[in-house]
Amino acid sequence: MDLHFTAEEESFRSDARAWLKANTPDPRLPSAGTREGFEAHRAWERSLYDAGYAGMHWPAEYGGRGATVAMQAIFIEEYLLANGPERINVLGLNLMGPTLMAHGTEEQKKRWIRRILSAEDVWSQGFSEPDAGSDLAGLKTRAVREGEDFIVNGQKIWTSYGAFADWIFALVRTDPEAPRHAGITFIAIDMRSDGVEARPIVQLDGRAGFAEVFFTDVRVPADQVIGAVDDGWAVAMTTLGFERDAPSAPAGRYIQGALRLAQLARASGLDDDPLVRDRIAGFYAEASAYHAVTRRTLTRLERGEQLGADASMTKLLWSELGRRMYEYGRELLGPDEGTLDASSPLPDAQAWHSYYWFARAATIYAGTSEIQRNIVAERVLGLPKG
Amino acid sequence: MDFDFTEEQYALRDLARDLFEKESPPSRLRDLYAGAAREARCWRAMADAGLIGLTVPESYGGAGGNEIDLALVLEEAGRAALPEPLLETVAVAAPLIAEAGTQEQKDEWLPRIASGDAVVTVLLREQRYAVEAGDADLLIAETEGGLEALPSRSYEAWLIETEDRARRVYAVDVSGVSRATRMSGAGAALTNAHLRAAVATAGVLNGIARHLLETTTSYVKARQQFGRPVGSFQAVKHRLADAHAAVEQARAATWYAAYALANGQEDAGIAANIAKAQAGDAEAYANAAALQLHGGIGFTWEHDLHLWLKRGKALEQAYGSGAAHRRRIADHIFSLGTDA
Repeated sequence: MDLHFTAEEESFRSDARAWLKANTPDPRLPSAGTREGFEAHRAWERSLYDAGYAGMHWPAEYGGRGATVAMQAIFIEEYLLANGPERINVLGLNLMGPTLMAHGTEEQKKRWIRRILSAEDVWSQGFSEPDAGSDLAGLKTRAVREGEDFIVNGQKIWTSYGAFADWIFALVRTDPEAPRHAGITFIAIDMRSDGVEARPIVQLDGRAGFAEVFFTDVRVPADQVIGAVDDGWAVAMTTLGFERDAPSAPAGRYIQGALRLAQLARASGLDDDPLVRDRIAGFYAEASAYHAVTRRTLTRLERGEQLGADASMTKLLWSELGRRMYEYGRELLGPDEGTLDASSPLPDAQAWHSYYWFARAATIYAGTSEIQRNIVAERVLGLPKG
Repeated sequence: MDFDFTEEQYALRDLARDLFEKESPPSRLRDLYAGAAREARCWRAMADAGLIGLTVPESYGGAGGNEIDLALVLEEAGRAALPEPLLETVAVAAPLIAEAGTQEQKDEWLPRIASGDAVVTVLLREQRYAVEAGDADLLIAETEGGLEALPSRSYEAWLIETEDRARRVYAVDVSGVSRATRMSGAGAALTNAHLRAAVATAGVLNGIARHLLETTTSYVKARQQFGRPVGSFQAVKHRLADAHAAVEQARAATWYAAYALANGQEDAGIAANIAKAQAGDAEAYANAAALQLHGGIGFTWEHDLHLWLKRGKALEQAYGSGAAHRRRIADHIFSLGTDA
């Protein structure tokens, strides 16, 4: 047992910290929910790539720097500490890139991977449909072969960055006669194609986040299928494995969250209240314990192990911790609970609301907590399917 | 980053698991519940296998192991609901004598611990009773004046009736202290003793929780209602999944605390508080789930479940309750200043 990072990793940390200090946009970028803001974020992602911080744990042949998993984790930590902007191409970097490396043809890799790194192509994810959420295999979007193309018709929903993304990787049904999990194909669709329409969905907090995407007779070249036709479920499972893995949720976020709760308690004059202190200490303990879990995860990833169903446990831990923690933040706001006014005497009353809604989303996206519990119960504990 | 145990440490875990299964099956716990004396055979076997001398320095005949070496052995002690005061003797007393004992005390007691000839227990300030004090060869007591090492005949001990009759606790009268029993150091060594007790208890709690989860998982797979295993119902699955996640998180926190202690890290204190608070909460969750999901059969004297339920409840409060440890965590957080 040795929890130190190597000298090389520590020196990488100082470099990354210095670079982020010098380059993190100040003032903050406009919201990525508008075209202008989105393009500002794209430019920022491009500068991360130019500095060598995009997809850096990818192999050099794909434009990465072959950095260790630990360096990737260090960068995520430092980015968090530097309060860096929201990343708009996480779906490309975390999901599509690795999926291409695992299942793509050489031509596909050459075509897309580098453009993901440079944010020239921003990707969105077309899995969920109005009638296929937790039950993803119930998806209905159809793709019918016509010569060298597929003709796609149907609808996707809850598509993050769907309104501005350049590409979407989608699951479509190519064989409606086959059993549900067979007959699905994983395909890349250019969002600028004729017949693609993205309508932004306004979130409950008033922000533009995701979109619904309609496909009407969209012509997609057959060479944009990833993996084999009708074998898209297996490809999608690889993708979901990447999605649930830990790098998406650095423990520092929750440790910081607990310390912010302490600040909030102080500002509200509640820092001597033993009940408040007990709750905040509990969150801090949980966040620190989750930090230990991420160290276990990192150890396994560094050895080249896959997390498999354990990734569901990790997602359950961080998302449920976040939900309870930010719910408590709202409780601490007290009489200012509902205020969004910057003149509120409490620090960051507005931010607490964003954290809260963000945390609430996290127990739903990438597989709801209920689905994660099923996976843990069935695949880790070996309980029978219902 | 290598947050894992070595092959040797896993081998030691396997050895402990086999030994506890063989030497201390549930039938033995039941004998103790019925009032039998705790016979020395199991302790002897543990000593012969090197488990008792694990933390005794090599120069005194031990293995010179640290908190990390001991971590998985303590989990196994929990999995077996072991009656022996392994936690007190091996996790707390041996390092405490090595750090705070006079030369005479070290010479007298450390080799005897390593050879299995001495059972040592402790009475730290947050305890009211001392585990196995009536049967121990030495009691180390934290008193107003400092630390006292009291040989068995120099104090009086009365057995206290408790729910968990396989973990015997005693009220003790330590007024017989003398110049001869005073230990030389205190301060840092005493702080370490408190932290080691907390982390070791967390380890045992994690083992208890693991046992409760394993046994409950097997039960709900086998138990049929409505024509199918009750473990196929989501209400059952979700509770076990949550318990599993909480216990795994507590284990990681406990291993981290063991690592921090073994390496003398600055954050060892807070890590120990976190480990005990988290392990207690996770075990309490698993404890409640285990009884609930066993249904009526779990509520019987005949079923072995209660042997672990009671040990868990006792250890949740031992060496600092969750609330007590969270108070220290809160003191730490609120002392960090505003720009943390």
